[in-house]
Amino acid sequence: MSPETTGIAGIALLLFLFLLRMPVAFAMAFAGFIGFAYLSGIESAFTLLAHDIFETLSSYPLSVIPLFILMGSFAFASGISQRLYTTSYTWVGQLRGGLTVATVIACSGFAAICGSTAATAATMGKIALPEMKKYGYDDELATGTVAAAGTLGILIPPSTVLIVYGILTEESIGKLFVAGILPGFLLSLFFIATVIVLCLRNPDIGPPGPQTTWKQKLRATTGIIEAVLLFLLTIGGLFLGWFSPTQAGAIGAFGALAIGVMRRRLRLKIAIEAAKDGLRTACMVLFIITGATVFGHFLAISNIPFVLAEWVGGLPIPPIAVMAVMIFIYFIGGFFMDSMALIVVTIPIFFPVVMKLGFDPIWFGVIIVLVGEMGVITPPVGVNVFVIKGIAPDIPLRRIFRGILPFLVALIILTVLMTVFPKIATFLPGLIRY
Amino acid sequence: MTGLDKFEKFNRKVSMAMEWVGLVAFILMMLITTVDVIGAKLFLLPVFGSLDMMMLAQLTAMTFSAAAALILGRHVQVEFFVLLLPRWVRTLVDCIVFFLGFVFFTIIVWRLFLYSYDLQIEGEVTPTARIPFYPFGYGAALACVPVCLVYLSLFTESFLKVLKR
Repeated sequence: MSPETTGIAGIALLLFLFLLRMPVAFAMAFAGFIGFAYLSGIESAFTLLAHDIFETLSSYPLSVIPLFILMGSFAFASGISQRLYTTSYTWVGQLRGGLTVATVIACSGFAAICGSTAATAATMGKIALPEMKKYGYDDELATGTVAAAGTLGILIPPSTVLIVYGILTEESIGKLFVAGILPGFLLSLFFIATVIVLCLRNPDIGPPGPQTTWKQKLRATTGIIEAVLLFLLTIGGLFLGWFSPTQAGAIGAFGALAIGVMRRRLRLKIAIEAAKDGLRTACMVLFIITGATVFGHFLAISNIPFVLAEWVGGLPIPPIAVMAVMIFIYFIGGFFMDSMALIVVTIPIFFPVVMKLGFDPIWFGVIIVLVGEMGVITPPVGVNVFVIKGIAPDIPLRRIFRGILPFLVALIILTVLMTVFPKIATFLPGLIRY
Repeated sequence: MTGLDKFEKFNRKVSMAMEWVGLVAFILMMLITTVDVIGAKLFLLPVFGSLDMMMLAQLTAMTFSAAAALILGRHVQVEFFVLLLPRWVRTLVDCIVFFLGFVFFTIIVWRLFLYSYDLQIEGEVTPTARIPFYPFGYGAALACVPVCLVYLSLFTESFLKVLKR
């Protein structure tokens, strides 16, 4: 077999192993190892395997990932989310559909200190769903809002998926973070607009909550000062060049821990459990990257990415059509795979094509995160939907998925807008001078 | 309690104990960097060899928590296809996957030990603090042993189910 044919066989083996339910990380390492052994000999493959595992897991640039995950875990456990929700609830809860609007705002705020969709959906679901139930909100609206708004976690910085994309493509993580701000803000507005439209069409689905006084509003606002400070310190410090991404992650994690301790929410046992949870997530992500490194080395010697980039570059169709096909692949792939795993698997193949066609790599990173968000809320592996189902077991999955549909439309509209106006993602990173 | 149950219990105990080592290394990563940043920015006194320590702490944290993450089902899988299959086919598929996992991690342990031995012989050290790499390499290899054991236990369990059928 030629290297290219072996490359295609390796990709087929990888997909087959995925179907057999082998963990994504191990499947990539295994398929890469077998393919490398076929092309370069078993001894080279043995050496590559040990070398890649040791080098990747001890790579300093990758340490940004565990630290931002730890920050999210501590923020999750320290009650910041509760205060964010209380603040937005106090401001907009008395409006029609106000509790769902408050949920979107609180999710946006929490996404600014936590890079995980599941954590954002879980933390807000636990707080917001009982409140919405209490005030007679429609189940579909309530669960759909929390599941969809939870996806903001991977778009608004710090985003774990953007960090991984930045590492795989050697793009600036700072610029990627900044690129996610405007689309994240716009998506929050789109979600709020969706809620308002739904409640205007059927006022019964989102009755108003209790009235609050200005004094209550102002008092509640003081509760989010620490979250704002934490965001400004980490992401602002990164934006201004004070910290490297790893340093920003460590400061953020330490800050979230300190807030939890000062607020007396993070007792030793809870802090340990939060750190353990973060460690397990970080372990999963870093092993996926290790697997992708082994698989990437196999793909590189099979020449597949370069042949594909040359072939696609020579096709007599406009680049935007190729991009549309790639976005569609991410959209469909997101139905079956975790967004992080999907990006890790496809980037070594698609990224050379993206560069060959002249697209902005920062814009592409944000676009695929946006499309990945759709995968988080669509069947059969919509992680956020299962998180919400776990919090509200009495609501059938079918109803949660139906509640998500209007928000999916909002996500699609933003994706189209970003494709037509790439400046939405590239404007802010263009202001950074490093 | 059957022998397999005892084996599973042993694996869980060992994996969870090893995770504590990983947890200490994980927290160290945060503390080293925080102290380094504060020291460097406020007092012009960075932590000597902080990057080296971070690398080694990360290697320790990730490898020592791998088995616990596996036991707790934290590694991402593509679930939708196998769930469509009849129960006995699913068990057969699990049997194959667990066997592959066991063989693959046995190779990883073996090659990581050899790799660490090479690091020891060649006297490889970290760039700044000149900490030898090899103890951490041996540690990583050792930390992957429970992963093999977990896979062996899962394989035996599903193999027995297949045999029963």
